[in-house]
Amino acid sequence: MGEDVVVSGLPHGDVLNAFVEAICARDPGRTAQARRKVVDAMGMAAMADAAAVIAAFNAYPRMADATGIPLEDAKAAATTEMRQELGLEALNTA
Amino acid sequence: MAGAYDAAPLPLRQDLGEALNRNHERLAQPGCWLDGSQRLAVVAEARHAPDCALCQASAEAISPYAVAGAHDGLGELPGAWVDVIHRVAMDSGRLSARWYGEARRGGMLEDEIIEVISVAVQAVVIDSFTAAIGMDSPPLPPPAPGRPARHHRSDAKTGPGWAMTIAPEDAGPDFADFYDNDSHFYIRRSLTLVPQETRRLWDLLNHLYMEDPRLHELDGMERDISRAQMEFLAARASALLGCYY
Repeated sequence: MGEDVVVSGLPHGDVLNAFVEAICARDPGRTAQARRKVVDAMGMAAMADAAAVIAAFNAYPRMADATGIPLEDAKAAATTEMRQELGLEALNTA
Repeated sequence: MAGAYDAAPLPLRQDLGEALNRNHERLAQPGCWLDGSQRLAVVAEARHAPDCALCQASAEAISPYAVAGAHDGLGELPGAWVDVIHRVAMDSGRLSARWYGEARRGGMLEDEIIEVISVAVQAVVIDSFTAAIGMDSPPLPPPAPGRPARHHRSDAKTGPGWAMTIAPEDAGPDFADFYDNDSHFYIRRSLTLVPQETRRLWDLLNHLYMEDPRLHELDGMERDISRAQMEFLAARASALLGCYY
């Protein structure tokens, strides 16, 4: 999904999506452009809060994947159908 | 005393700025198993990883084991450490029990692996945040003197993944509070083999995201984006890293 694709229906979902994609791609040019769009659309404080969430979620996945933790039973039960539809079980590397 | 993040190019929430400043100082202080110099070397290696030719080639390959060679390291840390740091920084979605076992066979103690993972993660997190807000990551302080205690926790055992952790039901009186408020999520448990270090990491993460994700919407929290927008960003970042936890 690229920044020109808007599918979330979330307020400002398009600019937020471009922001997170640019940061995770470690692309300074795209990040600067996306940052300006977030600030223009949502304001400086919202941009900082979005940056903080994106930074945090550069941690949790790495912590999970580095230690091989599985889904908790309750989460696994709640997402069985979705994981089957997406074929996520095939990606289990543990 | 002014903190490193007081120079941010925009006003930060007070709690977040203070957490970033605490983290900045702690990265140079002795941890549970690494001294200040080693921790700073881990940060430097994590920041160097995007320039590693092996990491770049591996990222393009169908398997991280399809490409042979050595990492372009900075020469400060042993090869096994460099592999842990680079893979956590650059290809975390394809980490495996095999990778973890290779680090141990490469001479790393499991406690060292966990602290190295934690410090490398913090380097990535800080750099993601500063890049996002248009700030250069501030220079780190010189290593603080002191030696790590290097005390292996007898209350840790392997699981729920391939790493040793301290389960809520096994946590001693000095650590049981870490699981207060029913915060028994596996992700919170993931790096508990090194309790002091995991407290440091969560002291940062709690302010970047939130301390208790069970909150209804954002009750009592000061944020300028909605809970739905936060969860959207969380899901997209996780997917982009290839994480399906």
